[in-house]
Amino acid sequence: MAGIPFGHVLALSGILVALGVACATARRNLIMILLGVEIMLNGASIAFAAAALRWQQLEGQAFVLFIIAIAAAEVSVGLALIVHLYHRTGSLDPEKFNMLK
Amino acid sequence: MNLFNILFYSIALLIVVSTGLAVTRRNLVHAVIYLIMSFFGSAFVFYLFGAPFLAALMVIVYAGAIMILFLFIIMMLRVETPEEQLFPARQMWPAVAVAAGYLVVGALLAAHDPAAGAVLGPAQTEPAVFGAYVFRNTWLAVEVTSLLLLVALIGALFIGKRPTHESEE
Amino acid sequence: MTYPAAADLTLTAAIAATALPLAAFAVILLLTRGFPRLSAALSIAAISVALVCAGLLLVRHGHLETPLEYSTLWMAGGDIVVRVGFLIDPLSLLMLMIVAVICFLVQVYSLGYMAGDPGFARYYAFMSLFAWAMMNLTLAASLLQLYIFWELVGLSSYLLIGFWYEKFSASEAGKKAFVMTRLGDVAFFIGILLVLLNFGNLSILELNSPRAGFLPPAVVTVSALLIFGGIVGKSAQFPLLTWLPDAMEGPTPVSALLHSATMVAAGVYLLARLFPFFSMSPAALQVCLAVGAVSMLLSATMAMVSRDIKQVWAYSTISQLGLMIMGLAAGDYVAGVFHLTTHAGFKALLFLCAGVFIHACGGNDMFEIGRRGARHLKIPMICMIIAAAALSGVPPLSGFFSKELILAALAGRPSPIWLAAGLLGAFLTTYYTFRLIFIILFPRGEAQAKDAHADGHNSEAGYRVMAAPLIVLAAVTGVLGFGGHALGRFLLQGFPGPVPGAGHPTWLPFAALGATAAAVGLAWFEFGRRGADQVGFVERVEPLRELFRRRWYIDDAYRWLLDHVLYRVFSAFCAKNDQKVIDGAVDGLGGSMAAAGRILAVLHTGSVQFRLLVVSVVLILLGLYYFVYPLN
Repeated sequence: MAGIPFGHVLALSGILVALGVACATARRNLIMILLGVEIMLNGASIAFAAAALRWQQLEGQAFVLFIIAIAAAEVSVGLALIVHLYHRTGSLDPEKFNMLK
Repeated sequence: MNLFNILFYSIALLIVVSTGLAVTRRNLVHAVIYLIMSFFGSAFVFYLFGAPFLAALMVIVYAGAIMILFLFIIMMLRVETPEEQLFPARQMWPAVAVAAGYLVVGALLAAHDPAAGAVLGPAQTEPAVFGAYVFRNTWLAVEVTSLLLLVALIGALFIGKRPTHESEE
Repeated sequence: MTYPAAADLTLTAAIAATALPLAAFAVILLLTRGFPRLSAALSIAAISVALVCAGLLLVRHGHLETPLEYSTLWMAGGDIVVRVGFLIDPLSLLMLMIVAVICFLVQVYSLGYMAGDPGFARYYAFMSLFAWAMMNLTLAASLLQLYIFWELVGLSSYLLIGFWYEKFSASEAGKKAFVMTRLGDVAFFIGILLVLLNFGNLSILELNSPRAGFLPPAVVTVSALLIFGGIVGKSAQFPLLTWLPDAMEGPTPVSALLHSATMVAAGVYLLARLFPFFSMSPAALQVCLAVGAVSMLLSATMAMVSRDIKQVWAYSTISQLGLMIMGLAAGDYVAGVFHLTTHAGFKALLFLCAGVFIHACGGNDMFEIGRRGARHLKIPMICMIIAAAALSGVPPLSGFFSKELILAALAGRPSPIWLAAGLLGAFLTTYYTFRLIFIILFPRGEAQAKDAHADGHNSEAGYRVMAAPLIVLAAVTGVLGFGGHALGRFLLQGFPGPVPGAGHPTWLPFAALGATAAAVGLAWFEFGRRGADQVGFVERVEPLRELFRRRWYIDDAYRWLLDHVLYRVFSAFCAKNDQKVIDGAVDGLGGSMAAAGRILAVLHTGSVQFRLLVVSVVLILLGLYYFVYPLN
């Protein structure tokens, strides 16, 4: 057969998002949390691109463009925060940041 | 099985495996390297889906800029995380259960959704067409995003400053 | 309702009469409490203007063909319309005049009686409050408005009975009066609601019009009886009669004004006000008749053994109110209202005279007053005898004519028992009245004659101030009786209800006079004649005396009911309910909230990632919900 079923692409992006969630919630490192977020965004991007192809609409691709832009913004601020926190506490363990408890 | 299919499935396997490896690495540098591989794979998938411009952006921005930024920060902070513990099981098991449910439902969806059966074939969008579309139909979002990037730049500059003596206490 | 050309003046007068006392009340309480004389002046000025306005209204509308109603919409919801305003018809004008006159006289009298009291300004403030409420009650155009002022009158009664609140018995009596009248008022209110629900209108005119005749008879009877419950409370009829004697703890002018002439008469006034409505239900009228008769006889017997001069007049008030209710219930509208009018005059006079004696002799006991030489106080003594004669129905005083009318109405009833009760009541009334008079006139034991006089000299100015209203009232009592026919004609103008037949048996006046004469003779034999030991025939029989003195054990019955039914069963149930159910519910609510918070606090570990996990779990669950739902 020619072509890929849409469902398989969705499954791929679903697996990526799940991995991202796992990375963001299970790893006890601030940088890994950010990486997990990136993985989730990546999974969503793949779904959007596939949807653009599936319905022959360019909105999906435009979405991916904005996702990349926003990821860049998010990473720059996030990493700045991580650097700041590291300077303050000397640690990247999220468990240490529980002053609000 | 034509070339398109073979390429997609092998790339998908590459993405999943490298992402899985990235998630499980203790060494942050290794994790980032695996993730760069994963993003290259994503870029290739975009190319397969007829979005060469997005593929280029993925390589340049994601793999080239964002991940290098990660690497840079990791090396700058020189973090050693030898003894990273995971959550206790008591806190993990609901998450595991939910994740299982998520996967099952995802599989069900992929199998039953009529839209999921639609077959994607090879296609191509000219970067010029895409650019014209973006700037004609979503110009407001483009402006907002540029503003967001500016704010992020300023914010990152502000936060990234070394804490002064007053703010430390 | 079309307004005549003179409407404006009428309306202005009505507003002035009903609003000025309130203004006086507010000003006294807010500004002039520290200036007793100024407060009294303000209050008396307000009531004088009100009196002038009432007189003006009476003269202006002496020939009123149809009742005037000035009203404005107050509440409207669905089919239910409540209006407020003034209802001006012969009955309200007459009552307004009575209230204004008695208020004015009592306030003047109080200048002397209350002189030097630390609460002088407060007293006048409350008096103004009462005057305002009572006048508005009189002119109320709708039942709801009447009810509001009815309660305000009850409030001022409470405040005035407990005026000397330092005295425990006074504050207790105030509370008792408040609670007991409230019992009746609850019934009254339910009656109003019933009327509102069934009739959709509370206008008194509407209620009295033939339109109310379309209501089902059962509804009319039940609502009339419920409204009569309010009357029973306010007019101290059986079985809610025991608060009135206790209310005598208040200052005597208060007793004269509120608890004999006006406020307690408000109940009778309400009955007269709704007379056509009540007439639609013969059953309700029969109940009214019975209650009136029982109250009249019971309280007359209580008065026969009392030694307290004010209590005698209090019992007498209950008795006379019962007689009025009997008159009205027997179907004679004019007789009841006429007796209300004359009674207001002579009973106020009796109380005011008693007040002078109490003031002069420093006690309420009639034997003590007699020994202290009360008979040397000429003006009050003569006035008291005139009033007592009027109360007993001695011609040609006012009481004779009005009682005669009521007895005639009773004679018109098919059953002779009511007439017999009326005659018996007249006999007893005369007996206890002259018992008191003879005891005071012919004291036994050592005379301390000079005491009273000396007291009188000490406050000569106060005595004169007090004497003036007495003389006015005595004159009124003397001549009012001859106005009966005029009054009847005045009252029956535009009267929608049935006009009673005028005929009565010719022997009736003689029978009544005979009863009166026999009673006077008996009283003379037991208390007046030289050598009489001043012990009444009732007092010789120990159980009877005890029965009457303990007020037929009505209070004891209430006490028993309170203790055994209300406290033991009902309160205990409420307390248990409060402790177990309500407290339990509240505590349980709080406790479960705290427990839920403790459970939820487990989620709040302070860990960033844990929150992230929870967020994603919730998102996934939401996604499951939205995706799975259409699948199934």
